[in-house]
Amino acid sequence: MEESFRKAFELLLSRDPELLQILGVTLRMSFFSTTISCLIGLPLGTLLGTHRFPGKGVLKKLIHTLMGLPPVVAGLIVYMLFTHYGPFGRLNLLFTVDVMVVAQCLLITPVVIGLSSSYMETATKHTIETAKGMGLSRGRVLFLCLSENRASLLSVVLNAFGRSIAEVGAVSIVGGNIQWKTRVMTTAIMLETNKGKFHFALALGIVLLLVAFVVNVAASWTVREARDD
Amino acid sequence: MIELSHVKKTYRDRTVLEIDTLTVPQGETLALVGPNGCGKTTLLRILAGRLKSTEGSVKAAAPVLYLPQKPYAFRGTVLHNILLGTHKKRGEALRLLEETDLLHLKDKKAASLSGGELQRMALCRLLVRPCSLLLLDEPTSACDAAGTELLLGVLRRYREATGCTMVLSTHTPAVALNTANRLIILNGGTIEADGGPQTILRAPESDWAKQFIAGWRI
Repeated sequence: MEESFRKAFELLLSRDPELLQILGVTLRMSFFSTTISCLIGLPLGTLLGTHRFPGKGVLKKLIHTLMGLPPVVAGLIVYMLFTHYGPFGRLNLLFTVDVMVVAQCLLITPVVIGLSSSYMETATKHTIETAKGMGLSRGRVLFLCLSENRASLLSVVLNAFGRSIAEVGAVSIVGGNIQWKTRVMTTAIMLETNKGKFHFALALGIVLLLVAFVVNVAASWTVREARDD
Repeated sequence: MIELSHVKKTYRDRTVLEIDTLTVPQGETLALVGPNGCGKTTLLRILAGRLKSTEGSVKAAAPVLYLPQKPYAFRGTVLHNILLGTHKKRGEALRLLEETDLLHLKDKKAASLSGGELQRMALCRLLVRPCSLLLLDEPTSACDAAGTELLLGVLRRYREATGCTMVLSTHTPAVALNTANRLIILNGGTIEADGGPQTILRAPESDWAKQFIAGWRI
């Protein structure tokens, strides 16, 4: 363990170009998949949590089922869509970071919708009652629901980021773990473990945890600022 | 103007409101009174369009403004709350704040207000907008005597200026009697008595209404 920690800090301090490249790809992929998932998922989750419509119960069950979608299944679906003979084969995106983002969005968007809708369902009752009583437009009521609960929604975003950065199954299927191209921290850890380089794999794991810690600290600070506002 | 015809609201097999007909002419102020769970809030929410009746038809003049029982304080200052969606009415907002003795709190965070202050701010937030129908669910429940008097004064002036119809629910006899020119006593979701406040006080329409009014200790 001590050896792994030493190696992790050595890796970080040495500015190893491959490690920095892997870290860059990991952060880029996680950033875009979290951003896209949240841009789609937060408004949809808010609508689902704050509106009544026919079929809402079925839709909620579907979302909750998709929240448990196994990453390898998501990876397989995206692989089949983007493979040479698939419907999006001509885009030539397989084994690129772009398609890794697509696979992660398929995994994370239901999580964002499910978590935000559950939260909004209980938290926005008085917000909506008051805002609609003031005669505000639907758009403004939706904006107020999002804005009033931004601190809690940030925790949904963090959850999405956490799922994205720690995901391995889908990205290894559609990304292929190609060195200098689509290798991310988790697939690198998997590879080093398979090679029997446990210390190095653990060191990468510690680096991954450190990155997650820094992001969490930054997010916690943002949440606190949002609450204090 | 309000017109209700054969309105019924049920939750599964429990009827919480059943009104055959109810007409409230434009400009009238109606006070709804009755014990807890008698259907006051349900009726107000149906009129506000926040709840659909199970049966019957509801016609209410638009635009409608509705003050819920537990108004919410949005993020930001008191003034920001009042001007939400209507930023051009700063002058009117400041006048209302002064009338409700909240002007000194205009830059304070709305979430930090006391219950009574929040109720006064919530009312200012509504009255800065024009409406044909004003619905208030226990608007003075958290206010002390002075706060209640301030609110009733502001409401009277708003009604005179706009000519709007006003429906309010209350547990405070003084609020009902000093504000409304018509009183409805609800019991178990149905109208037990309907008429002018003095008429009802003098000669309640039913034994139940008589007993209810006797409990007011005016």
